[in-house]
Amino acid sequence: MKRYVIGLLWLMCNTVSAEEVLAFANDAQRELYYQLAAELRCPQCQNQNIADSNAIVAVDMRQKTYQLVQQGQSRQQILQYMINRYGDFVHYQPPLNRVTIWLWLAPLLLLLGLLAVGLYRRRNEAAQTPDNLAGTPDELEQLIEKYRSKKP
Amino acid sequence: MRKLFFYAPLALFLLLALFLLSGLFSDPRERASATLNKSLPAFALADLMQPQHIWTAEQLKGETFLLNVWGTWCPTCNAELGYLTELRQQGVKIVGLYYELPRDPAFDAPFNLQTLQQDVSQKLAQHGDPYQFNILDLQRSLSLDLGVSGAPETFIIDAQGIIRLHHIGDINSQVWRSKLAPSYQQWSQP
Repeated sequence: MKRYVIGLLWLMCNTVSAEEVLAFANDAQRELYYQLAAELRCPQCQNQNIADSNAIVAVDMRQKTYQLVQQGQSRQQILQYMINRYGDFVHYQPPLNRVTIWLWLAPLLLLLGLLAVGLYRRRNEAAQTPDNLAGTPDELEQLIEKYRSKKP
Repeated sequence: MRKLFFYAPLALFLLLALFLLSGLFSDPRERASATLNKSLPAFALADLMQPQHIWTAEQLKGETFLLNVWGTWCPTCNAELGYLTELRQQGVKIVGLYYELPRDPAFDAPFNLQTLQQDVSQKLAQHGDPYQFNILDLQRSLSLDLGVSGAPETFIIDAQGIIRLHHIGDINSQVWRSKLAPSYQQWSQP
């Protein structure tokens, strides 16, 4: 029994060591690599980042990113390298330009619209209430009288 | 004013419906290529069949041609070989960029050029050979520089070596007529 357990454990050790291990000169480079792998988008299997995807192009892009990180290139340089080849599409954080500005403006405009509607309605209500209430005490009196007189 | 508020949600809904409807007919793979209207990136890669010959971007200048990214492992590429061969017979110059698969040292046999050459010759004999020659992109370095996301993809490159069109997906008579032929004719005029 003991021998089987040890055998099993040994097998598990092997599967762990079969995983890809990348060496980095320092922690900052490791950090940068993982950050970029999470932020770069696979052009083949869309809606996956290159860290998640095993498409050929994602494997190549990971490898290229690793090379460029090792060469000491900055985050911006590596992003630009990929964008030059695969377009803005390849980065999960879109740049601010004439087309993408609506991503930020649309929710803001909706919020402003909602606020405008709310204000408009509130002002209307405020304008209407005094008129409606002006006659109320008298009307109430009349109603009370009416119901009182109905009672035997 | 009151009426306006009454119809606003309906108008918003219709706009949203239109937007989503247009999404049904759009191809998510269709996007502007980043390498369009740029020069063919510099490279030095061996010919697939005569590996002693090294092709460079400079050598490909002088005539408009189709650069077809393909591999024998890719079924869609094999399927378009027949139509591309027809195009070659009509006088279209087609150069192949052979997109070799990465190899996992744990599972795959090491790369062997002779096996690949045999494999390619067999496929081309079977479906037709549209290529003037094939450039072997073993590390997919030129493919990465071209912004290739997979195979098959096709570029139209003009006589000055400028990339004029980037098509993702296969080529058939319909795609050729509607998309590639107009561009090819435009750029192959002297």
